[in-house]
Amino acid sequence: VKIVIIGAGQVGSTVVEALHDEHELTIVDLDGARLNALSYRHDVTTIQGNGATRSVLQEAGIKDADLLIACSSRDEPNLIAAMLAKKLNPRIRTVVRATEVEYLEAWHERHLDVDLVVSSEIETAYAVSRILGVPAARQTDVFAEGQVQIVEFDVEQAALSHEVIGRTLREARIPPDSKVASIIRGDSALVPRGDQSIEVGDRIIVIGSPRAAQEWSSIIAGDRPRLDDVVIYGAGRIGIAVARHLIRQQIRVRLIEADRERAQLVAEAVPEARVFNATGIDPDFLERERIGQARAAIFAMRDDAKNHYAGTLAKLHGVGFTIAVVHEPISAEVFERAGIDVAINPRQLTAEELVRFAHDPRTQQVAMLEGDRYEVLDVTVRGESELANRRFRDLPMTGALIGAIVREGKAIFPHGDDVLLPGDRVIVFTDARRAREVEQAL
Amino acid sequence: LISAARLRRAVRRETIGVDVGAALNLIGALVKYLSLTFLFPAGVSLYYDESPWPFLAAGAITAASGLAIERATRGKEQVGTREGFLVVALTWAFAAFFGCLPYLFSGEPQLGDPANAFFESMSGFTTTGSSILTDIEALPRGLLMWRQFTQWLGGMGIIVLALAVLPRLRVGGRQLFESEVPGPEVERLAASIRETARRLWGVYVALTALLAALLAGYAVTGVDERMSFYDAVAHAFTTMPTGGFSPQAESLGAFGAATQWTVIVFMLVAGTNFALLYAAFVRGRPRALVRDEEFRLYLGLAALAAIVVFAELATEGILEGEAGLRHAVFNTVSIVTTTGYASADFNEWPVLAAVGLVGLMFIGGSAGSTSGSIKVVRHLMIGKSLRRELDLAVHPEVVSPLRFSGRPVDEKTLRAVIAFVLLYVGLFAAGALVLTIDAAVANRVVTPFEAISAAATTLGNVGPAFGFAGPFGSFEPFSNFSKAVMIVLMWLGRLEIVPVLVLFTRRYWRA
Repeated sequence: VKIVIIGAGQVGSTVVEALHDEHELTIVDLDGARLNALSYRHDVTTIQGNGATRSVLQEAGIKDADLLIACSSRDEPNLIAAMLAKKLNPRIRTVVRATEVEYLEAWHERHLDVDLVVSSEIETAYAVSRILGVPAARQTDVFAEGQVQIVEFDVEQAALSHEVIGRTLREARIPPDSKVASIIRGDSALVPRGDQSIEVGDRIIVIGSPRAAQEWSSIIAGDRPRLDDVVIYGAGRIGIAVARHLIRQQIRVRLIEADRERAQLVAEAVPEARVFNATGIDPDFLERERIGQARAAIFAMRDDAKNHYAGTLAKLHGVGFTIAVVHEPISAEVFERAGIDVAINPRQLTAEELVRFAHDPRTQQVAMLEGDRYEVLDVTVRGESELANRRFRDLPMTGALIGAIVREGKAIFPHGDDVLLPGDRVIVFTDARRAREVEQAL
Repeated sequence: LISAARLRRAVRRETIGVDVGAALNLIGALVKYLSLTFLFPAGVSLYYDESPWPFLAAGAITAASGLAIERATRGKEQVGTREGFLVVALTWAFAAFFGCLPYLFSGEPQLGDPANAFFESMSGFTTTGSSILTDIEALPRGLLMWRQFTQWLGGMGIIVLALAVLPRLRVGGRQLFESEVPGPEVERLAASIRETARRLWGVYVALTALLAALLAGYAVTGVDERMSFYDAVAHAFTTMPTGGFSPQAESLGAFGAATQWTVIVFMLVAGTNFALLYAAFVRGRPRALVRDEEFRLYLGLAALAAIVVFAELATEGILEGEAGLRHAVFNTVSIVTTTGYASADFNEWPVLAAVGLVGLMFIGGSAGSTSGSIKVVRHLMIGKSLRRELDLAVHPEVVSPLRFSGRPVDEKTLRAVIAFVLLYVGLFAAGALVLTIDAAVANRVVTPFEAISAAATTLGNVGPAFGFAGPFGSFEPFSNFSKAVMIVLMWLGRLEIVPVLVLFTRRYWRA
């Protein structure tokens, strides 16, 4: 496969390292020295120039490329490169690294013509909650003013104890007001039927009410003891992303930020977190705030050395579990040697996610969940629709699932005996190829 | 040599940082338009076969004065933000001054003393509702209607009205607008101040018309046989601005239960933030009401106060049943919203209820409403800030922005709120003290409680005080000096102190 990579920094070079054996790579970067170093190490083509320009993209052979990975450290050039690439070569697939959550949201809402957006902040947040044993939903899409959620989970070992897992869906006690829309197992995605079951290692997609989504979360989390009170050092982008992620799972979060203005800003933006304006290395402060009693602490300050010191100090004060976010590749080892429990590298995580998209067909399907394999339709039933006024159990729909209907502003999660009425707004989860058909039928 | 002379002249020149001419020019224009409002009571007088001349003469003098001021300051049509305070403060003083002319020209003995006439006019425009009249019903219909009408003009604000209709104020109106509309932060209803002012007045006019129609309906259908068309309009004019004047000596006590309950509802509406009313009823989002913290607290406080008063009236056996509940609710709502109507003489109520009602004078309605006093939102912010202080005492590093209906509150706004409340309480204390001392000096029988309640009621733009100045009483017995003090308190209270008080600082006038 022919791949164009934009950006030869830490993320770019990790991606190159992982992909150069099997694929034909062209790397674009403004920095000649970086490119030189890469081309000595691996057999790759390098082009010095601005990857967000047409001329450079053409020079890089974008016309015959199959995949563009735009992973420079700046969002906007990455996005422009991806947009230009789509124009120059409509069948190319594009993956973009972006840090700004706004771009991620725009992509979720299909306002950005990109196949996958990977955000180091979100990847880090997800990694942290996985490490803390509070597996969160991988994705949450919200419909009908928040009354309907579509949530994606990885089913892990811990969930095994719950009776929903391993039983056929007909027998399993699925949380009320929810439906399993899809089970992704290995290479295939199944539209579940009553005789199928959810197994460990599956990735599942659930449609349901917010409360049902919560119940699913606790099923997936299994019978692990509930974690509470996490302290996050550093309220930068990563710190905030992690805090938001944990808060969403009802975990109490304390944030420590040394910069006064930043602390104020964050306190306004994240009202659920308790924000402290402190360096985090003042023993009096740690003592007064009983930081030592926190279940876990996450060190997400910009400087590895500071994180190291603060982490060690927190351990001395009795914090049970420490996770450090590192920026230099070597720091991970230093940290773990020094007694920090886990070190995670956002750039590493990002590179891994980018590589996964290029490599693994299974993740490709999942990634395309937002792309072209599945679609979530939000349509209103016409009066003359053949499907109107019929009971759900009689509806002849294959490869499509009505997850919820919104009637008079209220979401209803239908059962077999409920009747579909004209004027109902329905949230349908469907195979992308059948989307038009479904839309016409309604 | 020439440059040395220029320098000397430049050094000697007096420097004033405020363009008084420009401010006067705008005030002149506003006064000129104010003269048109005299046509309404003149018409009413003609209808009732009374002499329209007091109004026509007052109108002519007002128009001539406005034109003269405008002419004298011609060429200075540009008003900056600095002049805003001066324009707002003086416009209100001028409005009260010209508004008192019909009282003087009417030849009515109760209003013959200029101090009395000016008091009545200021009490009208500031929507206070305190009156020096001892025999209200002796006045001609036209003059009584003028009294009602001044409150209606003052309620939503003469400057907001000017912003809505005068093309000249298209630019730079923001400062004027913010100085006049009550509340710590002004919510805009539209992209431009002009459009916001129009919508506010639109809501105001619509609600006034609705209440007038309802009350007139009671008169026609006989639901309340004591109601008349005249009274319907007159009371609509003073309910929506939370004014409190009534052409009836017994205020709302002159009417039946249906009228009183209706007026309770409209007083509560008038004490609600108009931006919120607009969102809820014009834009069709009634949930905005539920979500607004100030609105919830406002209703909660009013309900709580009414229940306490009702409980006391019931246990003391003064009023019971529906009548007891109605009078308890009516009079507490009237005080909380700073309207100042009365349905019963709460002067006679037991001490707890009386002291409680004076306390309620410090609450006020919502920001952005027509009510006066401190306002619920400020109490809410102060409460939250005190709670935060307690938190900070234990956790000095915590950063916790105050939130109001979910939105963070700017620290500057909070500081202004605290400053306002301190100024308010300080002015109240000073006012009460001066009234007490003056009563002693002038050798009049004024008890400290009467002086305190009079200061609270005028600064809060409420209306009735206790004792001889109670709901069915009169402010006439106060000395002229005391009346002057209360006139200033009303003026300060309506403009929320700051625009008036800055005029007395040297920093305002300096370049």
